[in-house]
Amino acid sequence: MEVAIDTPVKTFIEVTEVWVPEGEKLVLAEGNYGALDGFEEASRRESFARDEGLPGKAWAEARPVVLKQFDGSYFKRTEAAKAAGLTSAVAIPVFDGDTLKAVLVVLCGDDSERTGAIEVWAETDGLLMLDDGYYGAAKHFEWVSQHTHFPAGQGLPGGVWSSKTPILMRDLGSGYRFIRADSAGKAGLTTGLGLPVPVPGKRGYILTLLSARGTPIARRFEIWDARSAKVGKANDAILIDGICAREGALWDEDNPRRVTAWQGAIGRVLGTGIPLVEGGKPGLAAGYDSMVALPIHQGGELSHIVAWYL
Amino acid sequence: MSWIDLGPIDEIPVRGARLVKTHVGCIGLFRTAEAEVFAAANKCPHKGGPLSEGIIHGQKVTCPLHNWVFDLNTGEAQGADQGRIETYPVRLEDGRVLLDAESVSRRSAA
Amino acid sequence: MQKLVVIGAGMASGRLLEHLTETDPGAYEVTLFNAEPRGNYNRIMLSPVLSGEKSYEEIVTHDDDWYAARNVTCRFGEKVTAVDRARKVVIGENGEVPYDKLVFGTGSSAFIIPCPGHDLPGVVAFRDLEDTAAMTEASGTPGARAVVIGGGLLGLEAAAALRLRGMDVTVLHLSGHLMERQLDEAAGYLLQKDLEKRGITVMTRASTKEIRGNGKVESVLLEDGTVLPADIVVMAVGIRPQVQLAKDAGLDMGRAIKVDARMRTSDPDVFAVGECVEFEGNLFGLVAPLYDQAKVLARTLLAEEDAFKVKQLSTKLKVTGCDLFSAGDFAEGDGREDIVFRDPARGIYKRLVIENDRLIGAVMYGDTADSNWFFGLIRDGEDIADMRESLIFGPGFQGGAAADPLSAVAALPPEAEICGCNGVCKGRITQAIEGGATDLGAVRATTKASASCGTCTGLVEQLLAVTLGDGYATPAAQPMCGCTDLTHEDVRRLIKSQELKSQPAVWQELGWTTPNGCHVCRPAVNFYLLADWPLDYQDDPQSRFVNERNHANIQKDGTYSVMPRMFGGMTDASELRAIADAADKYGAVVKVTGGQRIDLLGVKKEDLPGIWEDLNNAGMVSGHAYSKGLRTVKTCVGSDWCRFGTQDSTGLGIKLEKRLWGSWTPHKVKLAVSGCPRNCAEATCKDIGIVCVDSGYQIGVGGAAGMDVKEVERLTEVATEEEAIDMTVAFVQLYRENAKYLDRPYKWIAKVGLDWVREQVVDPATRAGLIERFDISQTVYQKDPWAEHVAERRARYAPLADLTLEAAE
Repeated sequence: MEVAIDTPVKTFIEVTEVWVPEGEKLVLAEGNYGALDGFEEASRRESFARDEGLPGKAWAEARPVVLKQFDGSYFKRTEAAKAAGLTSAVAIPVFDGDTLKAVLVVLCGDDSERTGAIEVWAETDGLLMLDDGYYGAAKHFEWVSQHTHFPAGQGLPGGVWSSKTPILMRDLGSGYRFIRADSAGKAGLTTGLGLPVPVPGKRGYILTLLSARGTPIARRFEIWDARSAKVGKANDAILIDGICAREGALWDEDNPRRVTAWQGAIGRVLGTGIPLVEGGKPGLAAGYDSMVALPIHQGGELSHIVAWYL
Repeated sequence: MSWIDLGPIDEIPVRGARLVKTHVGCIGLFRTAEAEVFAAANKCPHKGGPLSEGIIHGQKVTCPLHNWVFDLNTGEAQGADQGRIETYPVRLEDGRVLLDAESVSRRSAA
Repeated sequence: MQKLVVIGAGMASGRLLEHLTETDPGAYEVTLFNAEPRGNYNRIMLSPVLSGEKSYEEIVTHDDDWYAARNVTCRFGEKVTAVDRARKVVIGENGEVPYDKLVFGTGSSAFIIPCPGHDLPGVVAFRDLEDTAAMTEASGTPGARAVVIGGGLLGLEAAAALRLRGMDVTVLHLSGHLMERQLDEAAGYLLQKDLEKRGITVMTRASTKEIRGNGKVESVLLEDGTVLPADIVVMAVGIRPQVQLAKDAGLDMGRAIKVDARMRTSDPDVFAVGECVEFEGNLFGLVAPLYDQAKVLARTLLAEEDAFKVKQLSTKLKVTGCDLFSAGDFAEGDGREDIVFRDPARGIYKRLVIENDRLIGAVMYGDTADSNWFFGLIRDGEDIADMRESLIFGPGFQGGAAADPLSAVAALPPEAEICGCNGVCKGRITQAIEGGATDLGAVRATTKASASCGTCTGLVEQLLAVTLGDGYATPAAQPMCGCTDLTHEDVRRLIKSQELKSQPAVWQELGWTTPNGCHVCRPAVNFYLLADWPLDYQDDPQSRFVNERNHANIQKDGTYSVMPRMFGGMTDASELRAIADAADKYGAVVKVTGGQRIDLLGVKKEDLPGIWEDLNNAGMVSGHAYSKGLRTVKTCVGSDWCRFGTQDSTGLGIKLEKRLWGSWTPHKVKLAVSGCPRNCAEATCKDIGIVCVDSGYQIGVGGAAGMDVKEVERLTEVATEEEAIDMTVAFVQLYRENAKYLDRPYKWIAKVGLDWVREQVVDPATRAGLIERFDISQTVYQKDPWAEHVAERRARYAPLADLTLEAAE
């Protein structure tokens, strides 16, 4: 295992926030703004109607939305974002069947220096094509991705798509472990997390987070399985995969970690069915002080939770 | 126990049967699954139908003549019908079907 | 301190060293040899490393520090060339090491099919990190293709991993379904479907003949002539113990190194553990017993008592998103009973095998939540008599839950999903019932529950009963058999609409309650599948009644009758001579039948291929006198000879029979063509009867002359012989596609109405479609089964063995 570098130099994602429906509006439930107080203040004043701003658009169009240019767009907090140095955002709707549970929004900045990727893959004619993605400085990798498509079962997106399960891939750039490995390696990408984003309607979306060592999206990733077909009738989840820069492998085939609803951060997500964002809270798993946990609702139940820590 | 090697299991189709002639009469070898074989008398106690020609389902065989159904574990007729067929010890080893020699020997027949 | 030498750093010997050094770190000075240039890693996790879902670092169990901390002298990358038991030394490539105690942990190697080309570069096994690296390397080329030989645990994990890496993957499996040792057909079917969803091609009953290539692998040739291009070939057909070294050292061997319950070999100072041992005739390939052995051996080496016992095993497949579980014994036992649960909408299949009130086996697909609980019941041999009725629902359901299905439905929460297809929950159905939908049709109309696949019909009816109480009487739709609540009509409809193309698919997707049907449904489902999917489905002889399986009619004394075809009732002297010769040769009784043919009665089963061959040689084919299919076309002599004949009735009869023979139908079909209304061929009581008149041909259908006697009804009248043939073919195909199995045409027509039948057959476009589909089916089924059985299945007609011929003991 790589020895952890404990003080993050620069992280790929700077702001993460959760918007939840309240009546006809989306209101801010939680957010991790780091030191960007000004943007936090602007956000706390905000709310979005359906089809209003970025979260409202993800709700109305029922799909993940990538926005790489705020100026002149439907983005509502452009001035505050500009002041905070934020340049791009991705909104991920969390649906349970036809019901919107929340919209998770991540914002990034400084795209000339930071490397990583947040990609949205969409099903088109039986193949997964890149719908849109934010790549920071990984320009060549962006180009490769735009010209790649995945059939069922192939690569991280194709694997997630056909198995309906989040997948965590290791060592993306170490030469052979990833279909776009060559370019990923040059871009310094190490770990990839892929997850299904179920939305109303037939079309399937896959979100991938590709993390680089220098400007990581996270240093710890977890995948929890909460399907009744796996855990039975109890409202539990078990850790089926995970990797951590501090603790190493988190999976244990024989004795997987198990949480029950409302037990710890993952348990809270299990209980509420809504994404969780924590920031500046030392004492999370392995001593990290920020985390994001995103539930996936499939087949009428909360099927999985993916979590990432920094 | 001593066992008689009757040959590879693949000589019997899955859910099919083959006949073995013995001193105690004809015995059906019934392959009920990929690696599962039963041995039982071939003759239906009702009207003598050849059970090895019946349809095999689960661990049962249905007589081709009048649809009597027998459980191959016990040899008992199922449902309303009364009757029983003899069953014989059989086992699989390395994909070969072995039949208990004692149970089909001339002495048993006597 | 005693010297311990361990040969092989695998999972079993690794666990041994853990136990040994934990319990008594000072007991032994350990030297560990390993041919691989590395220490112990978790081999069973190689497939996620291959797929990229784990890194090699994560699966290392013992790193250099671990060995150093325990003073284990590591000789990695060094092969042991011999063991000299007389001098008690192990001879390595780089020198000798003396021992007081020696442990063989040499494991196993992949079994490589010795077909031509098996040694070409690019043929890999899947046993160690080197194999894994070779495969990942091969997958690096865009568009590279892999052929995996072996659809067992290891082969399928390799296939899924290589697919995830971006390869085109084909799995070849010898047996009829995947993982046949661990799974039954239904679970194998679901697994295959799951893998195919990932873009993996699965070929069952595929036998490899040759691996071809010039200097490296290029393609794989199958026995049936199929050629599959390949950049790598993964051999995953099995393992065999790696025991040459032990054999050379003169230890007692069976199929592997023989050990006692303390893991001791025939030499009291030499022990063996893991996949290289044989204990009480058993070999071991899964990890659980290896760990047990390691624990026993550690205690043995520390002079403590312990004994290894063979236990039940369970299997899981490491393919992300494939949830399967298999445990226990399906192969032997008396008085066993199956409990089967299927949820087609969610792709769930569970089967429990019970014997003497104990659970002895379990297979689960799609829902493995309770697998540990079931495995515990199997392992501990717990008495399950009290919970038998609800056992399949798992531990959450135990503790006094009543067995009455109505109370189970009543206990469901309102949000429980009843209809998976349309996502209808119990609450909505109850509401609809309370709102006035008081029968199944009304519930279907208002909620869509049970309107799609129909498998929840029973549940909806139970809800009606629960909600309405005595006000509801369950309608008596006749189910096909005890295996399902669906009617024949439902099953036919669903086979078409859900595109079900195999029997396991029908059993699973339509929720059969038995593992593989019964004598009532199997022949029917077999017919429906071959009629609807002639090109996709393969006829299953084991789902046919004896006559159709043996292509002859069984008689009450167990002999058979044999009847060659005589097209239109015409024969000649040489055919008759051959028939006479055959009758003499096989001692047959000769009977002239009402269908204008000759029947040879009293032929023994083992003589069938012989008599068929003789008749084939005289140019005759099977008359299908035993089939639910076209029997004969009876004719009169017609205008060629008869002074009243209006058309060439014999000629038309021959043409019809030549077009229709070999086709399977829901029940037998008899035809006749009469040359004039005097009707000498008795056409008006046949399933299809054509009466020639001056102006053309009157086609009647739905006659009968059996237990029911019925005159045909006029389907239509046509002017030309060609049209008469077209109408007849179209009618037969319509009957094939729509009738219930074992309904003769007159019964079927009574159900659907002659008007509907006529509309279909008379409409030119519909007729053309019917004829086209019939002809496609005939490309598969119009073949002489006698010739085929003589050529391919001759041996099956003889007894497997004749023990009466053997000398008395």
